[in-house]
Amino acid sequence: KISVLHHAPSAHIPARSGDPNPVSRNLDPLMHPFARARERTRALNAAKIERMFAKPFIGSLEGHIDGVYTMARKRDELGTIASGSGDGEIIVHDISNRKHKVRFPSAHKQTVSGLAFSENDRLLSCGVDKTVKLWDTRTTSDGNGDLEDMDARTERTPLSVYAGKMAFNSIDRHRTDPLFATASNIVHIWDETKSTPISNLTFPTSNETITCVRFNLSESSILASAGTDRTLTLYDIRTGKAERRVVLQMRANHLSWCPTLPTSILLASEDHNLYTFDIRSFSIPTQIYKDHVAAVMSCDWSPTGTEFVSGGWDRTVRIWKEGVGRGPAVYHAKRMQRVFSTMYTGDAAFILSGSDDGNVRIWKARASEKLGVVDGREKASKQYRDKLRERWKFDPEVGKVERHRHLPKAVHKAAELKRTMLDARQVKEDRRRKHTRAGESKPKAERKKAVIVEQT
Amino acid sequence: MDALISKADAIKPLDKKAKRARFFKGQDRAPGEHKKKEPVVEDATAASISRSTRLPPSLVPHEPSKVPSNSHIKDVKLRSQLTRTAKHTALTKELLKDAELLRSEERGRIEVEGQMEKTWRVTQDEIVKSVGVEVAAQRKEWKLDGGSYRTRYTRNGRHLAIAGKKGHVATFDWQTGTLHSELQLQETVRDITFLQDQSFIAVAQKQYVYIYDQSGVEIHRLSSHVEVNRLEFLPWHWLLVSVGNAGYLKYTDTSTGQTINETRTKLGACNAMVQNMHNAVIYLGHQNGTVTLRTPNLSTPPVTLLAHLGPITSLSVDPSSGGRYLATAGVDNRVKVWDCRNWKGCVREWTVRGGGGGGSKGIGTELEWSQKGLLAVASGGTVNVYAPPTIHSAHKGMPPLYLNHPIPHRPLTSVRFCPFTDVLTLGHAAGLSSIIVPGAGEGDFDSAEADPFEARTARREREVRGLLDKIQPELITLDPEFIGSLAPQEERPTYDQLGKKVVAPYARLPRLERLRVSGKADETEVGEEKEQADGGGEEDGMQADESPKQTSSEKPEKVKMKMKGKGKSMKRWLSKKRKNVIDPSTVAIRQKIEAQKETRRRELKAAKAAARGGEAEVEKPSALDRFRK
Repeated sequence: KISVLHHAPSAHIPARSGDPNPVSRNLDPLMHPFARARERTRALNAAKIERMFAKPFIGSLEGHIDGVYTMARKRDELGTIASGSGDGEIIVHDISNRKHKVRFPSAHKQTVSGLAFSENDRLLSCGVDKTVKLWDTRTTSDGNGDLEDMDARTERTPLSVYAGKMAFNSIDRHRTDPLFATASNIVHIWDETKSTPISNLTFPTSNETITCVRFNLSESSILASAGTDRTLTLYDIRTGKAERRVVLQMRANHLSWCPTLPTSILLASEDHNLYTFDIRSFSIPTQIYKDHVAAVMSCDWSPTGTEFVSGGWDRTVRIWKEGVGRGPAVYHAKRMQRVFSTMYTGDAAFILSGSDDGNVRIWKARASEKLGVVDGREKASKQYRDKLRERWKFDPEVGKVERHRHLPKAVHKAAELKRTMLDARQVKEDRRRKHTRAGESKPKAERKKAVIVEQT
Repeated sequence: MDALISKADAIKPLDKKAKRARFFKGQDRAPGEHKKKEPVVEDATAASISRSTRLPPSLVPHEPSKVPSNSHIKDVKLRSQLTRTAKHTALTKELLKDAELLRSEERGRIEVEGQMEKTWRVTQDEIVKSVGVEVAAQRKEWKLDGGSYRTRYTRNGRHLAIAGKKGHVATFDWQTGTLHSELQLQETVRDITFLQDQSFIAVAQKQYVYIYDQSGVEIHRLSSHVEVNRLEFLPWHWLLVSVGNAGYLKYTDTSTGQTINETRTKLGACNAMVQNMHNAVIYLGHQNGTVTLRTPNLSTPPVTLLAHLGPITSLSVDPSSGGRYLATAGVDNRVKVWDCRNWKGCVREWTVRGGGGGGSKGIGTELEWSQKGLLAVASGGTVNVYAPPTIHSAHKGMPPLYLNHPIPHRPLTSVRFCPFTDVLTLGHAAGLSSIIVPGAGEGDFDSAEADPFEARTARREREVRGLLDKIQPELITLDPEFIGSLAPQEERPTYDQLGKKVVAPYARLPRLERLRVSGKADETEVGEEKEQADGGGEEDGMQADESPKQTSSEKPEKVKMKMKGKGKSMKRWLSKKRKNVIDPSTVAIRQKIEAQKETRRRELKAAKAAARGGEAEVEKPSALDRFRK
């Protein structure tokens, strides 16, 4: 008839010492007052923690005397990269130990303009001294030997030298075959065993200098090039012809094929933007990436194909998410100069940037990520924090913490100025449109402005 | 050779490729052609075990039933993102419902047989006799000689702090009977409260407020809180609130030690203060009979209410309704229950005996709501407990009594329900007495919020988490749900001071305005979708604005069922003929009709029950429902 509430201690106290306390749940919202406010506080803390731990710089690989203008990563080895500098030096770095594996002190007479790893630890390099050289990067005792000694003993000589008539600007190797492509005034395809190019690729009417050439990663006989005539050209080495090209508003400095989406190509443009194109429809870029405040000099996809990195004339490295055109992560360092080459490592965890100050810098790809072993609970709480940040990003305060990035003063001012100028330009266009006959001039979507003409 | 290679699958020039694509498209659309079905690949291993195994319900891929389609959104990326979040929300809701089934719904009660038997006739002795030994031990009488006592429980209901008027202060774990500390302060003590947990207490003494730790060591003297009568601690905001003889309401952040706010009420000494656990608003009862609601962000009260004629002695906010009801008691011997959503007049009021005698002397009616909404009213020499649905039903006079208990030691100075148990503790001139009130406490506690069986490490961890999750005092408002809701739309001036129409350049307009100008703004609600689909798609601009009004004013046309000249016998014959044919479609239709009938039957039943007076019987879901799939 009468019953009174009683919590049996046996149900709520651990049976043996050391056991976790039994957990009981009551999901009635009345039992959880201020659930929203508390969650918001947690989200704000999560955002702050994220910013607090965002220390992306890991270290720099020194050794170059001039600026680093090109880099290449070895496909089947995580720790090995090569960098070439303005004084013609090439260094093969071991990034896990931050040591030099091999140095080629005067590999080229002038700037090394392109590097690409070939098979069997060999390295292709091209320079503006009109030569392409093939180097053996193997060390005497499989990387354990004293390299400095060996360097002192013998100056390494190239395995072979390929001579061209014009300065080379870029080089890329075929994924499987012993072929490589170079960019000068036209694109040459070379066989590694032959001293003259096996074919020349050029768009019929073109009369330009090619700045960058890259093979597609999955459809390996297709290659793309960017030229000074503001063009992006596609070639097929099976037909031996240029297939299609598109003329853009400004020239592209660098390009990179998406490793997971074979039809997607990324351009680093002189007009401070990056563009992704689907090569099936060149008429309109799939996305414009706007945040740099000076020309973008280099770009590279992450091996996952979901992110890419770009480095620019504005002395910053930016990390973008595929399809998100604004608000990338910005990396900068006090002494870092113009960034001419950027690259992901093969495990997509690190980013390398080579800049004018002669250093190759190593950054974390995700600024606040903890390196090393992360235990399960920590991982779970990180995931929870990420979810909270995602959920509360529209809250003004959380969003402010999330969006805010400290930038060097010069970059900040440049961005401000750029914004003012673009706004003014847009307002002017509006006013002009308002005072012309209705319907005479229609506003054009930003994406449609990028491409001038498409040629086949 | 070249031709051969080029034939392989080289990329074609643009124009040729386009033509080829078109050609294929045409083929796809060719009439009579069907898409080739993918052959179902049988995994031999899976097939061999699938006969005798079943996927546990938690692993069955489950699509939530009600997900808004968002088909009006053209942006594919946005639409898929919205659909994904909506799906997740729906799934969470379903899982929540699923988890509800597992709640024990344990609750104390007194059941009576017949109309003549009344719950209030049941005495404490009878209750003690009829329950187990452990529960019976909760009925206690403490004989103490420290004057009249004020009490306070921790949020988990495990620890009790008591303060006698003459300066006797003690904290203890009342369930095990372990004493944490006992102090003889030798000066007047007016109120006591725990801070975040049992490790600290704040005591309002003769002149200042002092903070002691668990072992009774004085930690702080808050000399800015002078002559304090009542103390409250807002646990989520870490704020200690005090109000006293001078009528100053002071908020002190106990995590930083800063005074957040100091408000002069200008209404004299204040003897009644209570917090609303659900929005952290402080309710003050004043000498002139008004009740004011206070937040640290406003110098003037958001609500002022003339509740009684004469001073107010006690207030309490109902935690079981999310702070919707407020009970007030005054020196005029009245108890009133207010609906905080509508302040025009009280919901119910009644007179109590022996409540008068001057609120300033600390003698008057005391009130407290329990977690489950039981209202205890202590006045004169008795404590009366009322049960929920009748307390706030709009009737005149006293609600039916649930339980009462006479106490010979006047005056009764404090009434406190212990959270998560059915215990009511009364402080009076001769000490304390706790009585058992079946049904007062919440049966299921959430160990993430307040756990009566909390271990030492868990307490420490919760303290740290509480500090991390501390809510800023600026967020205290009457409606706690405003956080995370949409901001009201900004009104933009359309005319300047000279009366000239302001037209901002298109580029300077906010995004929504720009979309509106270019006719791309999508302001349809999810609910409107159906209406629009009925009204026909090709409406734009002004018409679209008017259409919902039209549809709401016009009643939907009834479609008459017209039978066209068919003889009854013919119909019967046809139906019979149809009945004999069994194919999947008819089976499905029959099942559907069956289900419809079932729902109709249930609705009828519910309507009948409602007509009878009682609430519609809700079939209690069983925990086994989780396995019915």
